[in-house]
Amino acid sequence: MATTTLDAAPNLGALYAKATVTAWGRGGALPDDRVARTGVEVDRAHLAEYARVCRLPFGDVLPATYPHMLAFPLQMVLMSDRAFPLALPGLVHVRNRIEQLAPVPVAARLDLEVWAERFATHRSGATVDLCASVSTGGAEVWRSRSTYLARGASAPAGAEAADVDVHVGALDRAVATWRVPDDAGRRYAKVSGDVNPIHLSGLTAKAFGFKRAIAHGMWVKARALGAVANRLPEAFAYDVQFKKPLFLPSTVTLSTAQVDGGWDLAVRNAKSGSDHLLGTIRPQ
Amino acid sequence: MATPTRKAAIVGGNRIPFARSNTAYAQASNQDMLTATLDGLVARFGLQGESVGEVVAGAVLKHARDFNLTRESVLGSQLSPTTPAYDIQQACGTGLEAAILVANKIALGQIEAGIAGGVDTTSDAPLAVGDDLRRTLISLNNAKTVADRLKALARIRPGQLVPEIPRNAEPRTGLAMGDHAAITAKEWQIGREEQDELAVLSHQNMAAAYDRGFFDDLVTPYLGLTRDNNLRPDSSVEKLATLKPVFGTGDPDATMTAANSTPLTDGASAVLLASDEWAEAKGLPVLAHLVDAQTAAVDYVHGGEGLLMAPVYAVPVMLARNGLTLQDFDFYEIHEAFASTVLATMKAWEDPAYCKGKLGLDAPLGSIDRSKLNVNGSSLAAGHPFAATGGRIVAQLAKQLHEAGPGKRGLISICAAGGQGVVAILES
Repeated sequence: MATTTLDAAPNLGALYAKATVTAWGRGGALPDDRVARTGVEVDRAHLAEYARVCRLPFGDVLPATYPHMLAFPLQMVLMSDRAFPLALPGLVHVRNRIEQLAPVPVAARLDLEVWAERFATHRSGATVDLCASVSTGGAEVWRSRSTYLARGASAPAGAEAADVDVHVGALDRAVATWRVPDDAGRRYAKVSGDVNPIHLSGLTAKAFGFKRAIAHGMWVKARALGAVANRLPEAFAYDVQFKKPLFLPSTVTLSTAQVDGGWDLAVRNAKSGSDHLLGTIRPQ
Repeated sequence: MATPTRKAAIVGGNRIPFARSNTAYAQASNQDMLTATLDGLVARFGLQGESVGEVVAGAVLKHARDFNLTRESVLGSQLSPTTPAYDIQQACGTGLEAAILVANKIALGQIEAGIAGGVDTTSDAPLAVGDDLRRTLISLNNAKTVADRLKALARIRPGQLVPEIPRNAEPRTGLAMGDHAAITAKEWQIGREEQDELAVLSHQNMAAAYDRGFFDDLVTPYLGLTRDNNLRPDSSVEKLATLKPVFGTGDPDATMTAANSTPLTDGASAVLLASDEWAEAKGLPVLAHLVDAQTAAVDYVHGGEGLLMAPVYAVPVMLARNGLTLQDFDFYEIHEAFASTVLATMKAWEDPAYCKGKLGLDAPLGSIDRSKLNVNGSSLAAGHPFAATGGRIVAQLAKQLHEAGPGKRGLISICAAGGQGVVAILES
């Protein structure tokens, strides 16, 4: 296992370009390399912009979805590397689980480490988990697991079965309606650096097989968190499954239910009722 | 005589450090700051998930989308979502007026506890489109046909695209508040040096209060700030003497500078008020009671009175109702909108002709002991986020009275835009 420690956040646009031109001819096993950064300080102006775009409260504690902003670029370093067995274009984020072990102060200096694991078989291809761990002062405060699906790909022989389902109870009462504008993907791309073309415009999305641009799953997840952000335990797991793509623009609904000291959540299309996101928040 | 009522107790307060405009809180909205301030108060007094009778707060500079600012802040806070809330606005009197409204409901037995607060940002201030453009956009929105839409669009002129930036000016006179205050300063012959001295004392008093830990249970750090960033403990009269006047500059003898006037400031404050019974049941302290309050307004447009002189009128009415003299107080909190305002207020109370002619008093109210004035610093040091100043003063004075022991009395005097004044008496 090799750990590469970066001294700055990588440029995501360049990584996308690299991943795209090196997409063909990938395969093999998952490398066990890790990418890290140490002593990372949160830029409050960036946090404020993130909070505005995701409608999250802005203060002295990081929203539970924010550390993903810091970890995702490091995960992109792994995924864009030639040694990564799956091609980045076409990877679909199908599940994301965040564990906040303790509230993370904005002023904390953060140590990040990311890696890939669980190359698993899925009925329509293979999945891989991109993991992240965030520590401050030697204590882990946050971790996440992003599961990506590569349609048509195959996991190595004997791989475990993918685990992509999040189960929620009956969520039959919509508590909020969101009108998601057609620039939602561009706005989140600007703040997150996640400039995957499927989020940016109808034209670029069509090139990758989507009829229109789609919202970032992590934006939907963050915005749903905003609806309950002041009513959460200090330590919790926020687990979501991304279902049908949220085409832009759309009107969607949020349904919530208080369950076991946490929440069940669903974001659904206001017209068709189809699920975009199903999630649970549970105290830990 | 009205039915005697109980007096509302001041349990404590919380504020975030105040920040000069476009500094530490440049990215924070009114709702962000008010929510953080409420959460600090909730944490201090163990109110997580609880409901109080009412939360009353406001902002002077407010976005149209923030019509329900206080309720929205409550819904984003650690308070129970079943806590009612409403917004008020009385310019710089907002925070104190909010405390009076909550105290009155407690006094009448309509609620047992409530939170009064205020917030303002001059960094994330609302911009308005000019009135011509606004009307055009409304007709564009109402247009039914493409032709009507094009007709409406054709009315837009480049000059209309410049937004209207809120100014700290009186709509009826077009004068900045500082220019109004400069007129009053000249009328009352308030000198440059005494203004600078008052400003320096405010900084020194507040710095000393911070140093002795006085603000430890009144202020919660926010966005990396632990103290008001306008505070200059090393301020001196010599340094201040070098500054050029910024208000009333048409006059060669102008006296009001950026140092003896409050700067544009961002911040929020909140005060927890309750019945004695509620506080006792919760095991919470009673710092002081809100004994009485009074508002007044003056005709500063046509009547020849100074814009910020209304508290001068409000105080004698309140004193008479309570059988008190101006000297019956252990502490005075006269809001330092401008150093000259504080000095003109005190000078007016000392002036026999003015007290008789304008206030209708047989004798002047007399002078106050300056060593009892703004003993922990005031707005010249902390800064003045308009609606947040009242809450800062109420909590600060209540704590000072409590420290001094039972039976101590304090007077609050706050001037406000529109020629209004809000004053109150607290007693430990």
